[in-house]
Amino acid sequence: MSAIATPAARPRRIRIGRGLAVWLAVVVGFIVAGGVAWLYQLSEGLRVTGLRNTMMWGQYILFFMFFVGLSAGGLIVASAGRLFGVAAFKPISRLAVLEATIAVLLAGMFIIPDLGRPERIVNILLHPNLTSPMIWDIAIVFVYLGLSAFYVWLYTRADLARAGSPLAAGSGTSPAALERDERLKSALAWVALPAAILLHSITAWIFGLQISRGFWYTALMAPMFIASALVSGLGLVIVLALILRRFRRLTFGNDLVAMLGGLLGVFIAVQAFFLFAEFLTAAYPGAPGEAGPAHRMLTGPYAPMFWFEVLVGLGVPFAILVVRRHRHSARWVGLASVIAIVGIFVHRLNLLLNGLSFPPIGLPPGVSIGVAQGSGGSFAESYWYAPTIVEWLIVGGVLAVGALLFTLAALVLPLEERAAHDGG
Amino acid sequence: MPDKVSPVAALSPASRAWGEIEPHSDEPHWAMVVDEERCIGCWSCAVICKSENDLPLGMWWNRILTDGDGLDEPAVEHGRPAMHWVPLTCQHCENAPCVKVCPVGATYRRDDGVVMMDNDRCIGCRYCMIACPYGVRAFNWGRPERPNSVETGMLPARPVGTVEKCTLCVHRLAENQVPSCVWSCPAQARIFGDLNDPDSRVNRLIREREGEVLLEEVGTRPSVHYLPSRRRSEL
Repeated sequence: MSAIATPAARPRRIRIGRGLAVWLAVVVGFIVAGGVAWLYQLSEGLRVTGLRNTMMWGQYILFFMFFVGLSAGGLIVASAGRLFGVAAFKPISRLAVLEATIAVLLAGMFIIPDLGRPERIVNILLHPNLTSPMIWDIAIVFVYLGLSAFYVWLYTRADLARAGSPLAAGSGTSPAALERDERLKSALAWVALPAAILLHSITAWIFGLQISRGFWYTALMAPMFIASALVSGLGLVIVLALILRRFRRLTFGNDLVAMLGGLLGVFIAVQAFFLFAEFLTAAYPGAPGEAGPAHRMLTGPYAPMFWFEVLVGLGVPFAILVVRRHRHSARWVGLASVIAIVGIFVHRLNLLLNGLSFPPIGLPPGVSIGVAQGSGGSFAESYWYAPTIVEWLIVGGVLAVGALLFTLAALVLPLEERAAHDGG
Repeated sequence: MPDKVSPVAALSPASRAWGEIEPHSDEPHWAMVVDEERCIGCWSCAVICKSENDLPLGMWWNRILTDGDGLDEPAVEHGRPAMHWVPLTCQHCENAPCVKVCPVGATYRRDDGVVMMDNDRCIGCRYCMIACPYGVRAFNWGRPERPNSVETGMLPARPVGTVEKCTLCVHRLAENQVPSCVWSCPAQARIFGDLNDPDSRVNRLIREREGEVLLEEVGTRPSVHYLPSRRRSEL
């Protein structure tokens, strides 16, 4: 193993230097701004967003989808590494489960500002309708959140106990306790992997089961969600791992970087394959409905974003990672990961916009927009959605919560596996 | 839902008789037939719907689509211009996608076939609007705006942040009166009745005129049926 063995854990003092203080101040500032924006949205209603009856889901659902996807990489890498005995993943397994936990927490948070009546969210428990994919999705989000949070604790608790941290919750470090940890980790991997697959599938089925949205109504939706989740999730794990290595909070060699980079390249290829299969099937018959949205993506108004997704989002990182020399360079792999994450974000954006912006009955004057318009009429056949500053501030606030949690976790939790005590 | 004074009580006996629902079975399945041959695209039904149900500015439960290139622009059929309209409101589907997807059961189908909203339960997630292929659901995006702040209708205002839609005027059905879009149509293009009664006018018209439903391919089994025009509406 390439990880450098470090001395036995000792209580670590957290020093808050100037850079860290500035970073925390900025993050807290964003959280406050997001909170104020949300209060404003609560008092005025969702009309302060760019959403209307013609385009009823936007920025919040986009980030929900995106963060559900991001949380995949972490848990799948960590649990698959354990299930299939890939010891090389060990140096980043703690980071991976931490990333999964924070990402799924943020995904859940993004749902709240999207609701018109967030104070009624308890109705989900009081009056659940089991034919709604949304109920199942919320359930799996909670299960997954609990599972991944427990996973983080399980991975770090022995080191926390050695350091005398209260976070260890009084658990011990006897050989028997450590052995029990290992058994639990292996058992949990069997649950975590299917849970991760389920989370992404059910989220996909929120969209993919809707026959009224021809562009979404495809059996490929769930597999494609998993492929795209693996790309963005693994991409984020790589980026975070490289950042933490830069700040000396994690130690691993470039052979692991090369391995993860290679894996990312494979995931990108799978995503590209699914995308091609989907568009070929949609476009080939040349019939309206299915082909309509496909045509809009390939040559119509959404073409620039679609081709960005394909050529830049998938093509460029694949071209980088396919070169062996690049895979052994942290810079190249990091760059490819960032581009791949952006590419998957644009993929989700295209999915959302193209699925919604044209109503199934496309006759004039179209759908009633839903708010009084000064001029231009109350109807629209298609609608160009753009998020408002309120939506950006709220999204920024939730992202800042994630950044804050990750920073604190990176400071407090022992993210590095200590080879001396690792039992393997 | 309605807790205001019914307007039906204030109607003259003649108006009451005009709006009366025809005899029906004991367990009716309420339905509407829209005769495309009769529709003149005047939007009376859409306007009275706004008044009856107290819809704020920018909100429509009922609208008249033009089967052409633009609003009230004719389509070209066999080389000649022709006018057709498609009055569109909630189709009160038997297999309603909105009912299926609502996470909290705030939208549901009554035994008489009316798809209803419970605006006190709705959490405002708008999944029903995603699921509805007809685009007939409307969200309360903000505080309702009304000209001169006058509430016109007989229904209490729906809360901000919830979804609403056509109720087939259930407050009128309760008094054996047809929905307002039906009695108010100057061309009598809308016919209301009971699908469970084989001899009802709606059933006879659907049989004789080969009534169709919108987007049959998505399998929603709407309660609103359309009678295609028998003559070419050439201009």
